[in-house]
Amino acid sequence: MSLLFNPHLLAKFGKQSLYAVSARSITTTRNPDIVAKSSSNVSRSINERPAFLTEPEPRNWGERLDSINHKTRLPRSVQAVYLRPLRRKAEYGLPVCDLQLRSYSVRNVELFADFAVRAAYYLKLPISGPVPLPRIIERWTFPRSNFVHKKSQENFERITLRRLIQIKDGNPQSVQTWLAFLRKHAFYGVGMKSNVWEHESLDVIKNLDDTAPGVESSLKVHLSQFGQQRGGRAQSSISGLLGDIQPTKNRSPLNDVRKG
Amino acid sequence: MSLFRSKRLDIGGFINARVIRDHTKRKVFEQHEPERQALRYIIRNTSLPQRARAQAQLQLSHMHAYTRSTQIKNRCVAGGIARGVVRDFRIARYQFRQQALAGELPGVRKASW
Repeated sequence: MSLLFNPHLLAKFGKQSLYAVSARSITTTRNPDIVAKSSSNVSRSINERPAFLTEPEPRNWGERLDSINHKTRLPRSVQAVYLRPLRRKAEYGLPVCDLQLRSYSVRNVELFADFAVRAAYYLKLPISGPVPLPRIIERWTFPRSNFVHKKSQENFERITLRRLIQIKDGNPQSVQTWLAFLRKHAFYGVGMKSNVWEHESLDVIKNLDDTAPGVESSLKVHLSQFGQQRGGRAQSSISGLLGDIQPTKNRSPLNDVRKG
Repeated sequence: MSLFRSKRLDIGGFINARVIRDHTKRKVFEQHEPERQALRYIIRNTSLPQRARAQAQLQLSHMHAYTRSTQIKNRCVAGGIARGVVRDFRIARYQFRQQALAGELPGVRKASW
């Protein structure tokens, strides 16, 4: 996935496409006969510094590689960067994970939401979203001066932008992988928060019932101490309970007075 | 109080006598909080003998003032000021304004609406 966001790669591709376009426009305006020679030829000469004006010599390695680049398409995964992110279809629509992205800048949060959507596609996770949640606007007003002059004040604000990405009926393991991947490639100025739900089979109730007696017996000691007991039973056991927290007599003030 | 104050400086940021004092109070309160809560529990528990509850009351009232949570006051970490401190940033209003205008507080900018 890091390949997709490689700035060097993008820059190179952008440059190449730009050259191709300009070359085509030049050929059409100059002479219709040259168009037959194919626009790629002209673009090659522009790409190559030394052969900018002269007629091309027998092809050298650089040209051959260039022509290959021009004729072949980019890998599908790289092409996909320029298109809308692909999505999987949810079969049942059972929500498994909510991811909330927060940032103070639109560009950062949009970019990272797009990244998360693409990553989910390659992990075969169906998603809905990025849903733009309401912005959180915090405002503060303070006097401009450090002392008095209350009439002249200044307002400050902080707007938090949020995006919600929900994963539907995904495998818990791949959801964890997705979250770990997003944490690994966390973008600056973007915070993440996720709620993960795990679903179990209906047999879980039977399992709980089986384990209940053991848990109860282990909790019995603690539960018997809980709450207020009625009658004298509680009174009788208090001295035992208080044993170590009984306040020492010599520390109380009245004792000191009597002794003195 | 000097009996609670640490011998070496154990906070960073803006240093001031009042800042150090507040920091000491926070530490003392944290140390004695379980004791205070235990005494409060004994005082309020009606099933305990009256004598124990009265003793607990006395003991609680004799604890040092620094063990009270009410002694703690938020102070500006950049200037030590105790008034107009923004909780989100732990900075007083004038420091906030200076830092916000300098772009040092992420996401904060001048508002107009």
